[in-house]
Amino acid sequence: MTTLFVLDVPENRPIAAVAAQDPAVTVGRVGPYYRIDSDAPIVIDRRATGCRHAVWYSSVAGLVGSRITQWDKDAMRVESR
Amino acid sequence: MDQLAHTVRGVDHIAYPTFDPAATVTFYRDVLGFPVVHSICAAGWGPEKHPDFIHFFFDIGNDDRLAFFYYFGLQPFEGGPQGDSYSRFTEDVPVFFIRSRHLAIHVDSEEDLLEYRRRLDGSQWPVEMQIQHETIESIYTHDPNGYMIEITRALRPVTPQEDLDANLTIDALVDVVSGPDPSMAALLARKAELIVERAAAWQQEQEQDVTEVAAR
Repeated sequence: MTTLFVLDVPENRPIAAVAAQDPAVTVGRVGPYYRIDSDAPIVIDRRATGCRHAVWYSSVAGLVGSRITQWDKDAMRVESR
Repeated sequence: MDQLAHTVRGVDHIAYPTFDPAATVTFYRDVLGFPVVHSICAAGWGPEKHPDFIHFFFDIGNDDRLAFFYYFGLQPFEGGPQGDSYSRFTEDVPVFFIRSRHLAIHVDSEEDLLEYRRRLDGSQWPVEMQIQHETIESIYTHDPNGYMIEITRALRPVTPQEDLDANLTIDALVDVVSGPDPSMAALLARKAELIVERAAAWQQEQEQDVTEVAAR
């Protein structure tokens, strides 16, 4: 299982929305955080989110048994450890 | 943990040395329009050899003040080609580290930010960068002493969940730097544990507070 948390603030909402477009991904809630889960790697396209760089590079709040294998101007890829 | 009473009231003053008081006054008073609000002319005194000095203060709003010390006859100290009047650094010190220490002054609106940009751009010290960060927008320049100055506005109000998030980050950071191998990966793993432990309960408390206020 791949799991990341993203804080629900206006700038981060497109990140959860873009992640949720993948049918393998489920987006739930833990308090004010989005919990983004998948059995497969989670890949989020930065341009699809419309996030500027400062928002993009500070958007991950937590990782459960997962690691970030790509985090650049194009995309974020999170995989199970 | 008991909450400690929080009774402080912001910055009284921050103080920097200057070797160029004339340019310092031009920059802060005449370019930025920060009034001079206090100054002390002091003869050198005390057990150590101390030069005569002028200690002068600019109003930076909110009754907060930026102060300088000018010491008669004192020459700048060696230390390297980078840095400012207080700290000199050798060439190998990265610029992100040197810029990490800076003073950021708050404005309430984009209009005010752009007015200060206009004043700086018309001077010898034009804006070097204008950046939208996560939730603030800032302009930067260096004053005549090499001190980096930021003027910043909020792009939106801070939300309550950002205060929770900040506290979880710092608790995770304190845990991780006590361990053997501090890293962002270790911090995000520890922070996820804290989110699972505390975030749902925090949300319930917030909703309870809203319900109680509505019931009044």
